[in-house]
Amino acid sequence: MTVIEVAGAHKAYRRPRRPPERALNGLDLTVASGGVHGFLGPNGSGKTTTIRMLLGLVSADSGEMRLLGEPVPRALPAVIASVGALVETPLFFPNFSGRLNLRLLAETAGVSRSRVEECLELVDLSGRADDRFKAYSLGMKQRLGIAAALLKSPRLLILDEPSNGLDPAGIKEVRQLIQRLGHDGRTTVFLSSHQLSEVQQVCDHVSILARGRCVATGPVSEVLAGQSTGDVRLRAPDPAAAKQLLEAAGYTVTSLGDAWRVHRATGPGAITRLLAENGQYLTELSPIAADLESVFLELTREQT
Amino acid sequence: MSGAIATGATTDPHAADLGRGSLLLAEVHRITARRFIRWLLAVSLVTYLVIVSIVGLTQFAKPSAAGLAHARHRVQAAVANQKAARDQCLKDPNRPTDQPAEQICGPDPAAGMFRVQDFVDPPAFDLQRDLPATAIAVGVATAALAFLIGATYVGAEWSSRSMVALLFWEPRRLRVMSVKLGVLAAAAALLGVLGQLIWLATAEILQSTRGAPTHLPAHFWSDLVAQEGRTILFVVLMGLLGFGIANLIRNTGASMGVGFVYFAIVENAVRVARPRWQEWLLTDNIAGLLSKGGYRLPVDSAAVSPGGGVVPGQPHEIFISNLHGGLVLGGVTAAIVAAGVASFVRRDLH
Repeated sequence: MTVIEVAGAHKAYRRPRRPPERALNGLDLTVASGGVHGFLGPNGSGKTTTIRMLLGLVSADSGEMRLLGEPVPRALPAVIASVGALVETPLFFPNFSGRLNLRLLAETAGVSRSRVEECLELVDLSGRADDRFKAYSLGMKQRLGIAAALLKSPRLLILDEPSNGLDPAGIKEVRQLIQRLGHDGRTTVFLSSHQLSEVQQVCDHVSILARGRCVATGPVSEVLAGQSTGDVRLRAPDPAAAKQLLEAAGYTVTSLGDAWRVHRATGPGAITRLLAENGQYLTELSPIAADLESVFLELTREQT
Repeated sequence: MSGAIATGATTDPHAADLGRGSLLLAEVHRITARRFIRWLLAVSLVTYLVIVSIVGLTQFAKPSAAGLAHARHRVQAAVANQKAARDQCLKDPNRPTDQPAEQICGPDPAAGMFRVQDFVDPPAFDLQRDLPATAIAVGVATAALAFLIGATYVGAEWSSRSMVALLFWEPRRLRVMSVKLGVLAAAAALLGVLGQLIWLATAEILQSTRGAPTHLPAHFWSDLVAQEGRTILFVVLMGLLGFGIANLIRNTGASMGVGFVYFAIVENAVRVARPRWQEWLLTDNIAGLLSKGGYRLPVDSAAVSPGGGVVPGQPHEIFISNLHGGLVLGGVTAAIVAAGVASFVRRDLH
């Protein structure tokens, strides 16, 4: 089952005396249920617009969207009880306490007060729940926003940059929380983040956005494999001789400091044989795996 | 937070018991929990009590038996003086004879034409005179308070952007706005009723401690109830107007500024430049709505342009009935509220 489906979504913001700003340009996106799905893209690529459209805050110019199988925004009232969201900064009354802010939201949907306390406990805000929201640090505000998103025990949890403002310990704990929720067998977490390391650590699947279009999607490992360059890391007893032999055979070789990088090494066996035949017995030959950062930069550069 | 997450791991995510939510209940909770609104109400109540105490203690005194006797004596003297003046007028040979004597010299004075309370010195609280007039003043003050509450109720939602957060829970925008308007209208009506009840109680205290014996005319109480009904309607409309302006421009302070510019500049400019248009001004229609039987607005005919439909030099009067006042106020409020709601329902929210 899919929890999010977007097909051919277009959105342009009108601006006075300037051409419209195109935010989405035929976005197609599918998020399957379960796990943590990362949503990556550079600033202005359309991530937040996509989330706002899914939540009915922004209307699409064209295209179709579904949340938990229901068309949105038409059927949003029917599914909203199963969707929790934190979009950019948490939005609360500054003069109300954290607890009162949550209670007001909980009353709207008939969520019990005990669940409010549970969520406050979950984000470690029970001790400060009666403080005014405006007295909270940025990290505490973010945690209250996460607590609000969790109040409904959502089947789909949409988090837009949830680690903003958190200290390293807080970031680690939020990531653990996201992973735990994403693997509880019930909740799907849709995580928008600009932190590539976060997505690589936390997410099972990823969709990469550039200029309002999805340029890569799938399990993180597959996306990385799909963008693999075939480069290998190589070490030999006589590095200079090894480099000379490889370049003579047509390979491109660059330095990695204490080793060589052989670009687009289509057959590692051929490299081994070539060097062995010339008395160079390798001490290391390993594939260089693409990391999400390089994949992300490569994909988004292609689109700009 | 690490300990918290460990605790959270034992939490069953299915445990959140989603019941029947009540946006109405949440909105009632929201408006009553607002500190600024509570502060406004408390300050208003304290101000009212201070003013009433000062005015009651310094402006009114319960007349003694001797004071009442003196007032009756002054009534008789006033009757005698008027009678003498009338007799002199009737004997005047230059008096025009083509008009009835009553019209030139006035009716034959009698003691019943004067009220003893008006001759008591120092003056006593007079239920017949002071109760309806001050009820209107209290109504106007309450309406100003309702305007502020309406503006800050929705203005704070926009400034904190909690309006957007609410849509994550109830995405039907028209429903959200309808409930907010309903809660505000009910709150404003309650405020109006309480304001009038507090004044009635105050008037009763003033009458018993600092009032003169009085005989209220027939229909006094029914007229007062009708006036208070119109006053409460006025308070509700002003609350909705404050909400409507703040919702349209999405800022409490700016809505106060709009109100100030309108009442201080626009209305005065209209009075000077287009006196005939005064019947459409809010303040004159407020007077029309609240005044018993409507409001007669004198127009300076010299200021009326020749094309304005008034003969220059002739006294002119515009009559604004209760219905006219209510319809104009209601129409303006409805238009502004509708524009704000339409904008909220249709626009992208960021």
